[in-house]
Amino acid sequence: MNNDVLLKVDDVRKEFPTHSKEVVHAVDGVSLEVRKGETLGLVGETGCGKSTLARCMAHLYDVTSGSVWFDGKEISTLSRRAMRPVRREVQMIFQDPYGSLNPRRRVGSIIGDPFAIHGIASGPERKKKVQELMELVGLNPEHYNRFPAEFSGGQRQRIGVARALALRPKLVICDEPVSALDVSIQAQIINLLADLQKEFDLTYVFISHDLSVVRHVSDRIAVMYLGKIVELAPTHELFGQTRHPYTRALLSALPVADPDTADSREQIILGGDMPAATNPPEGCRFHTRCPKARADCAAGEPPLISVLDDRQDHRTACFHPLTIGEDMSTAVPDLKAS
Amino acid sequence: MTAAIEMVDVLDEPKAIEGRSPFVLALRRLRKDKVAMISLAVIVLIVLMAIFAPVFAAITGHPPNEQYRDIGLTPDGLPRGPNGTFWLGTDDLGRDILVRIAYGARVSLLVGVIATAITVAIGVVLGLAAGFLGGVVDTVLARLIDVVLSVPFLLVAIALVSVTGPSLTVTVLVIGFFSWASVARIVRGQVLSLREREFVEAARSLGAGDRRIMFVDVLPNVLAPVIVYTTLLIPVVIVTQATLSFLGLGLPPPTADWGGMISASQNYYTTAWWFILFPGLALLITTLAFNLFGDGVRDAFDPRADRT
Repeated sequence: MNNDVLLKVDDVRKEFPTHSKEVVHAVDGVSLEVRKGETLGLVGETGCGKSTLARCMAHLYDVTSGSVWFDGKEISTLSRRAMRPVRREVQMIFQDPYGSLNPRRRVGSIIGDPFAIHGIASGPERKKKVQELMELVGLNPEHYNRFPAEFSGGQRQRIGVARALALRPKLVICDEPVSALDVSIQAQIINLLADLQKEFDLTYVFISHDLSVVRHVSDRIAVMYLGKIVELAPTHELFGQTRHPYTRALLSALPVADPDTADSREQIILGGDMPAATNPPEGCRFHTRCPKARADCAAGEPPLISVLDDRQDHRTACFHPLTIGEDMSTAVPDLKAS
Repeated sequence: MTAAIEMVDVLDEPKAIEGRSPFVLALRRLRKDKVAMISLAVIVLIVLMAIFAPVFAAITGHPPNEQYRDIGLTPDGLPRGPNGTFWLGTDDLGRDILVRIAYGARVSLLVGVIATAITVAIGVVLGLAAGFLGGVVDTVLARLIDVVLSVPFLLVAIALVSVTGPSLTVTVLVIGFFSWASVARIVRGQVLSLREREFVEAARSLGAGDRRIMFVDVLPNVLAPVIVYTTLLIPVVIVTQATLSFLGLGLPPPTADWGGMISASQNYYTTAWWFILFPGLALLITTLAFNLFGDGVRDAFDPRADRT
């Protein structure tokens, strides 16, 4: 793996106005880089802004502030027309294999869409390309005349993959590509994505709320909480050397196959709910639920930097990062100013 | 562009597996609906009657506008009842009612189909634009829809016709102009929810433009309610046309049309029951057949809808 940056997100914010004049801070100042050939995992609870960030990366949303750079070019300010050539190189796979395929169109024309939109192939040539793609993702090419409703969830997601790969993109943003599927089907799709990555030298941004899936596929993982990245590290470090209390809490919620280990391991149950994104807490966003919260957590916002003796590529946004082996289950928050 | 897309669908090798489209499935359900099929047969008969109206004239030997003052009227100058020469009787001017009903079907169907087509075309395009583009376009079009729906249709029609004089074109345009709003409202509502669907976002992420998304991705998804509404709109338009004629705003005489015939029969309903009955029946049977067929289409395209 080389270290060339393919996609750079620089201090991106995305706000949505609501009817009651409040503003949802869906993504609130996120910076990260996606390197060529890697898979960057993006995890977080529902509503933490992962999908919004993904859509900002693909410039499906205009960012409120900040910038997105693809292959050395700023794309967050491009007009829809100017964005078209970039669309060939940045593709998305969507979460819902039922909603992301037009129910009234045949699979052949759905997968053929990229060719039609970019005027690449038409007629028999397009049909041939579509059938090649279908074969590539493990679908029966003879089914190209069928409608999405005639396929199972896993097959539909393969259709979505085929459509995303049609133009041989460099970057594929997978927005919870397996969350809507059965576990057995999840593995098939993940393996398919891995095979395709090898074959076509793809770069993935892989979004999921399921840490075990992300761990399996990612080279690096970014953990999001309430619109911000709280920890960003290579996969093995994030699991072996967890710094952020929120990451630790997420990890402790991972199901374990062995019941003996499951009973004895550390359980961290966070109090309360995620605060509303319309009115995020002052200071560290996590301090309202963090067992290790101190007075300074509420006062200032921790920067995303490498903490303790971590290397440069392991960054954590926390004033009181965890040391290895620290037991967090007995920690008690103390927010009184000392 | 559309032709190119269809290529994928059309260029079939024999081995290819045919997908069953929602449309084909709906047609299959429709074919099993007895009432709808009987209604369709009645509609076909009425259409045939309109097409072959000159045949009626030839068989009876009575042109539609020929006034038989001698054999078609009683010595008192009243219409004659049904008999061997005039099978459905004559009207106040001694004309053959059967032949005039056949010719009247032409007017009703022509206005019904053309005015409905105009209505649906305007309604779909404006509804799509309002729902999909949103913003200022939507605000303006939504208000326009409200305005058109709140205008007293008949009063404006009467005023307009008294200015321009009655003609087929004016009738069609008046009906078309005042009916598109309800189609646009239906389409807009559907599009508002459709444009938030993920497949629209997917199309956008592929680089598709607004026009392509509107017509290739969104339009096929609103076609079912539009087809249903269209079949139910035709009888409404036919009745509206008859109403305008009844009020003297239809086609200028001596053109035969059902509304005008019913209007002329008003003074004779005590003495000549056939004069009002047969044109009225023609109108009733036609609208009933279209309505029942429309109900069948609705059930076929939306099996979940209530049958009430």
